[in-house]
Amino acid sequence: MTDQDPDTAHSRKPNPGAPSSAVPVSHVESSPRPVGSRAAFYSLREMHAYMRLAREWDLRFEKMFRTGALSKWYSSVGNEATTVASACAIEAGDSLLTLHRDSGAILRHYLDINALLPGILPQDPAIRKPMGGDSKQRFLRLACQMLGRENGFSSGHERSYHYNLFEEEWGLFHIGMISHLGSMIPVAAGTAFAFQQQGSDRVAINFIGEGATSTGDFHEALNIASVWKLPFILVIENNRWAFSTPTSQQYACDHLADRALGYGIPGVQVDGTDAEAVLSVMQTAVARARAGDGPTLVEAMLGRHRGHSEGDDSLQQVPEQELQQYGEQDPLDLAEKRLIDGGVFSRAWIDEVSERCASLVIDTVDQAMSMPEPDVHQARSIYAD
Amino acid sequence: MQTDTSTESDDTLYVDAISAALADEMRADPDVVLMGQDIAGHGGAFKITRGFLEEFGDQRVRNTPIAESGTIGIAIGSSMLGIKPVVEMQFADFVSCGFNQIVNVAAKMYWRTKHPVPLVIRLPGGGGMGAGAFHSQNIENWFLHTPGLKVVSPAYSGDAYRLLRAAIRDPNPVLYFEHKFLYRRERSPLQTAPIPDRILGESSILRSGTDITTVSWGWMTHRTLEAAEILSQEGIEVEVIDLPVLSPLDHRGIIASVEKTQRAAIIHEATCTGGFGAEIAARICDEAIWSLDAPVRRITYPDSPPPFHKGLEASRIPSPERICSELRQLLEV
Repeated sequence: MTDQDPDTAHSRKPNPGAPSSAVPVSHVESSPRPVGSRAAFYSLREMHAYMRLAREWDLRFEKMFRTGALSKWYSSVGNEATTVASACAIEAGDSLLTLHRDSGAILRHYLDINALLPGILPQDPAIRKPMGGDSKQRFLRLACQMLGRENGFSSGHERSYHYNLFEEEWGLFHIGMISHLGSMIPVAAGTAFAFQQQGSDRVAINFIGEGATSTGDFHEALNIASVWKLPFILVIENNRWAFSTPTSQQYACDHLADRALGYGIPGVQVDGTDAEAVLSVMQTAVARARAGDGPTLVEAMLGRHRGHSEGDDSLQQVPEQELQQYGEQDPLDLAEKRLIDGGVFSRAWIDEVSERCASLVIDTVDQAMSMPEPDVHQARSIYAD
Repeated sequence: MQTDTSTESDDTLYVDAISAALADEMRADPDVVLMGQDIAGHGGAFKITRGFLEEFGDQRVRNTPIAESGTIGIAIGSSMLGIKPVVEMQFADFVSCGFNQIVNVAAKMYWRTKHPVPLVIRLPGGGGMGAGAFHSQNIENWFLHTPGLKVVSPAYSGDAYRLLRAAIRDPNPVLYFEHKFLYRRERSPLQTAPIPDRILGESSILRSGTDITTVSWGWMTHRTLEAAEILSQEGIEVEVIDLPVLSPLDHRGIIASVEKTQRAAIIHEATCTGGFGAEIAARICDEAIWSLDAPVRRITYPDSPPPFHKGLEASRIPSPERICSELRQLLEV
């Protein structure tokens, strides 16, 4: 080691956040699913349908990126259990603040999957009532947004998930990201502040990566939210790599969830590939927020499946064995295995869901591709009237 | 607690005009919420919100932890869902800790998403009190360079009252620079005109003249008027233009005046290089260069932080004497 380049030596230090770590984690919530419960399988089936839709969405855009049809893509692959389950825990009227790895939360929050794929789920939801309004139109506009079309939520002015969608009549309040990671944490807490001020029992949830926990906004917002007991749930999607930086170079504590102690709020670490476990943690956090008891910090442990953005080489920093482990813990595979092993659903049914989701995504994205691009001469005001 | 000042009133201190504007707008609109450090029980570092906690309660008058970025971000998020937050920076200088939330989140939100951010940030700024480098700066230009923000800098109690109420009603983020030196020195009547529901560019000719046009705001408008009075006794007539609103900038009044006087100077307390004086000079050159008989002059703070010692500080801030001297030079060109 003595004559080795110190930087290289440093980068080869084992990443303590990696799943190979044998350190027992005190806060991990495992799935609370009662064995053999039919209701639990129906809940998982509901989440699975949205997870599959999110997966097909990402796979389609990844493909488009590879063929040059899209200039940039950030993939949500691997995050679907956390994002879909989290969005299952909220309702119309709550606010949602997302990153670029949260297509699962967006699709779950925006859409009635039955309106898009009739009969794919029973009419009576097992977990969450779908958002009202026109799901087909919303889904098409979302595709237009990804492709910079005029009909997208920002009329081509902002890229991918950097947009907002408010539909007040349905209680849809979604605020997208800016590129400065961590910056939306106070903004999310601010939406929670509005709910508190207005005397409503609505809550705000915000997703961040583990890298953003190093920013000042993480501390400032979580501290104020805790002091003011804001109805706010901050979900860290800890995929153990921020661009190319492993957790060993990002923070020195054992678990980010432990930081909650410093704010006087609950902090929970959960297996983010287990949709049922995430759902349980989030339902508890949301109930606490609705009751006026304040924020919760949730750390969902995930794996890195893709580069920071598609086409960059950041994944090369992840050791091969670690990457392989993440692949083996694919949340879609885990959910499907559980559904089939339970004897309630068949592989054929799972395959049918996948095929229908893939076809829907392809058709919708194709339709968006054929829609008008923005008029390059249009003026766009910097001020509200 | 202040009395309702929406009716005609006598001379009002600048600091009281700001308090009155806040209180009147809070009475008129239950969605207005104040956030800031030590603003509740203590009434704020300058006592602007003294008595507010008692009248409006702790839900609407919120002490915050020392967290400018977190506070401004929370104000932004709440403003998007129906709250009208007014955030007090204890000193304008501290707003640098919340810079990203202002220039990247608030300023760009409407352009990016068409969702308004009706937010006001009050910034007690400026020097003259020997308060050193971190309690004296004039930093309006940091924000004038950012599209999507509105920036005001009233010189008089009347403008301070009217513009603060208008800023709270405006659907855009407004940075409201209030000059600490004027707090307990400037006294003038509050205007009784109806309060507008937004901030628009405005300039006003405070003194008519034929020889030189000056452009200034905040404290420097008072000093420029003093200089104009001295020069008038020498037979030099200065046209003094005050800019209560810096962004959006309405420069038409400046151009019309320069076309008449053919000479122009911009006086600001902020430092020179890259300052707003350069922008105004450029606009004069763009639209009225053929009317000019002399180069446009900037009379400003030197490019240095504010020193602590009162004498040192005073030597940096444009004084009526220095303004007179530089304007005389401008006439000799």
